[in-house]
Amino acid sequence: MKGVLLSGGTGSRLRPITHTGPKQLVPVANKPVLEYAVEDLKEAGITEIGVILGHKGREEIQDLLGDGSDYGVEITYIVQGNPLGLAHAAGCAKDFVGDDDFVMYLGDNILKEGVVDLVESFESGDFGAGIALQEVENPQQFGIADVDDQGNVTQLIEKPDEPPTNLALIGMYVFSPAVFDAIEQLEPSWRGELEITDAIQSLLEDGYAIDSHVVEGWWKDTGKPEDILEANQLVLEDKSLKKRGTVSDDATVDGRIELAESATIEDGAVVRGPVSIADGAVIKSGTYVGPYTSVGPNSTLEGVHIENSVVIGESSINTSGRIVDSLLGKGANIGSADDFLPEGRRLVVGENSQLKL
Amino acid sequence: MHIITHACTQCGTVVSANELESNRVMKCPGLGCENVLRFTDLDQADQEHFLDNKASYEL
Repeated sequence: MKGVLLSGGTGSRLRPITHTGPKQLVPVANKPVLEYAVEDLKEAGITEIGVILGHKGREEIQDLLGDGSDYGVEITYIVQGNPLGLAHAAGCAKDFVGDDDFVMYLGDNILKEGVVDLVESFESGDFGAGIALQEVENPQQFGIADVDDQGNVTQLIEKPDEPPTNLALIGMYVFSPAVFDAIEQLEPSWRGELEITDAIQSLLEDGYAIDSHVVEGWWKDTGKPEDILEANQLVLEDKSLKKRGTVSDDATVDGRIELAESATIEDGAVVRGPVSIADGAVIKSGTYVGPYTSVGPNSTLEGVHIENSVVIGESSINTSGRIVDSLLGKGANIGSADDFLPEGRRLVVGENSQLKL
Repeated sequence: MHIITHACTQCGTVVSANELESNRVMKCPGLGCENVLRFTDLDQADQEHFLDNKASYEL
């Protein structure tokens, strides 16, 4: 079994954060989303991973993952170029995959339970493909699978008016090499892409059994800022957090805190977990860091009250204001305008930024 | 769709035909690889297929 990790895409819904980097490297609980995927594949015993690269962020992704040795895996890079759809991405991996089965994992997704059960379910029978499903409350808005009593998929329907089930496809797949013949027969859809659901439907019509695995734990597509915040909450809620940094005697720390070795919480600061604070970060006097916040490396917070937010890193936040439900890009600096006249906020805001003042 | 790729003979990095065609000549994007990749590294039949159907390989 091999892994194919999709790391292309423009990340347009995460602008301006993705103006300067790929969406797969946005950190959740101070770890790039893509690393969760590599670790999930490794946990499932998959150590040969093909990483699909698009036009954006190739070098940053290669800088992070390298040859895979830091993660105990072996990585081959596959340059897709134009984003012509998930089935095109899978097709580009044909030479890498060879005659093996493979897991296809979307690199901006996080899955609580990983892919071990999905792989085991696929390997328990003779399937052309296996798909991960999750129960949703609004099946009309998803690609929906109809399954029989044994869990075999009988039909895939895109955003049905009258859904036969509430089981939505969540973008995790296992394929046999038969999928490459199915992809070869595909034509681009109305949006100009080779659709992976069309490839699975083609396998079904050619008589292949398609396995399904219903994911019980949470799953997040981290394509939008609010998704990053929610994923950050979910990971901080579940993650084992270790306090290795320095907490001054007169600082107040409650709940579960991940404090990196060179991070510091100074006297007069209040931190209430679950929180993750990365290396080189300093939480100064008068600062409150509330639940579900991740403070990235080399950031300094002074005087601010911040909660349910992600500070990606290299930031200086020195203000008495309150920041909630926010995603702050690398190097974003926030100061105080209290002593300035005329009164008012001073902003230097990049293209596609979103502010609520 | 016939998906055409080329694997670098030195490092195994795979590059799609649309990427090779748009660059014509490119340094292999593999980590630390100094190999030079060309659209003409593809089989003649694959080159012709790609050029005859170029529109379908674009957005």
